[in-house]
Amino acid sequence: MLSDEDFHVVELSALRLSEWTPLVEALKTLDLSSFRYVSIHLPSLMDRSEERLVVKSLHDLENPKWPLILHPDTVTDFGLWRELGDRLCIENMDKRKPIGRTERELESIFQQLPDARFCFDIGHACQVDPTMNEAYGILKCYREKLEQIHVSEVNSLSKHDVLSYSTIQSFRDIAHLIPNVPLILETPVLQDQMRQEVNKVRFALLPIITEIWSPKDEILAPLASNQ
Amino acid sequence: MTSEDTSVVVFGSLARDEFTGGSDIDWTVLIDGVANPKHLDLARQVRSLVTSLEASPPGQEGIFGNMAFSHEIIHQIGGEDDTNSNTTKRILLILESRPIGRRDAFDRVLNQVLSRYIAEDARFLHHSARFHVPRFLLNDFARYWRTMAVDFAYKRRSRAGKGAAIRNLKLRMSRKLIFVSGLLACFSYHLLISDSERSALLSSPEASHEFVRHLRRVFAQTPLEILAAIINRHENLRPVGAQLFRAYDDFLGALSDETQRKHLDSLAHGDEDTDSLFRQLSECSRTFRDALLNLFFDEPTGLGQLTKIYGVF
Repeated sequence: MLSDEDFHVVELSALRLSEWTPLVEALKTLDLSSFRYVSIHLPSLMDRSEERLVVKSLHDLENPKWPLILHPDTVTDFGLWRELGDRLCIENMDKRKPIGRTERELESIFQQLPDARFCFDIGHACQVDPTMNEAYGILKCYREKLEQIHVSEVNSLSKHDVLSYSTIQSFRDIAHLIPNVPLILETPVLQDQMRQEVNKVRFALLPIITEIWSPKDEILAPLASNQ
Repeated sequence: MTSEDTSVVVFGSLARDEFTGGSDIDWTVLIDGVANPKHLDLARQVRSLVTSLEASPPGQEGIFGNMAFSHEIIHQIGGEDDTNSNTTKRILLILESRPIGRRDAFDRVLNQVLSRYIAEDARFLHHSARFHVPRFLLNDFARYWRTMAVDFAYKRRSRAGKGAAIRNLKLRMSRKLIFVSGLLACFSYHLLISDSERSALLSSPEASHEFVRHLRRVFAQTPLEILAAIINRHENLRPVGAQLFRAYDDFLGALSDETQRKHLDSLAHGDEDTDSLFRQLSECSRTFRDALLNLFFDEPTGLGQLTKIYGVF
């Protein structure tokens, strides 16, 4: 589906532990050659023994260079994950989670995992602080570690959603701080809505865009002065 | 008890770290999220807990001791819908509040309130501006201070003078203290930050965000700590500081003395001028006032100039 749409970036996700083994198996035969960037999202809930098994299985992954996206509240034994060095990408969390939501909370995590990289979830950061002041602080502190960005709206039920007009305006506030890294869209859309959602993300996060996104038409239209 | 959408927030002397035996506990359940009828249950739980502590309950006006919703606090700044109650909650959230338990909702709401004042007044952050003082925020602090003073007169009338003596002293001391701490916070880019650092912050495209972060750091302190931070940075202010803190300490000493507090609480309207304790604390408040005048009109620190430009009109 993604190849048909000419996307070159993909994150393969096994958020539930039950999905992990099938994903590891599938990776042995999946043709990912059309993608310039591939990352793997690790399970978001593991007990101590499951954590050990997942970390062990990471050594057998097809491509040892794929970034591994991890929720910090999943971690029980930091020593296990420390061995993965800069393959590991810590993701900032939404407001439901006990840790990893703010600049200050991420500091203690990166102290435990100093070589880990960072997956900036802009939707989570916006939910935690809609002024984007926290997002600004997080980017200011961890920009050098930035590996990729998760993009979505996180709604009042803490679920991923399509980008709304007000969220796009919030994202634009810090768009200029975002370097050229892969963007992973977590917005739940059908295949025929993908392009439209990508346009919204481009408008939200690429400050050089001179087109106006109209919520009424849900399209990008050129600025009158640029015509 | 709290969640990512609710914070229990305390105000008043408890938030200022000035709590004494006779202090009341002003609290609210601050809600920033999806409406839930169960929030009332949380407020009832908090009320029950406060009652069990045998502290004095929140004030009679009903501003505290219940739920507060972020929508009004954030959106209604100025205009007809910005009621006395709403302004009070918003200003005290900035100047004298502390979250108990989870602080998610508290931090979110405070960030949003301060961001409104700063983003909607962003001209003051232009690096070419002579001074960098957030007028929108300062004006709301000044408006609240005058409201407190007028409300004193309102309560004196509506309660037939009952409790007026102690409220008068609180107005001249602790209420005035939080107002001046707010003023100093507004002036703090010129009082706490070096010229070079300020220039760097103002030149950045993130000047608004940086100013909000700066204000959050300032307001994380108590009002007395804000005053102390300014005074300690300037050697010539030490004598004024000593006078100021001594007067305030005498005031707190009286409030923490159960006998003196009860005496002031029960002082009949009209008897203040002949009451020795009231006269002693009035003198204390005059010392406090004079020290504040010396502080705010001090020229070497630049406070005098800031006060004349921003504090008079």
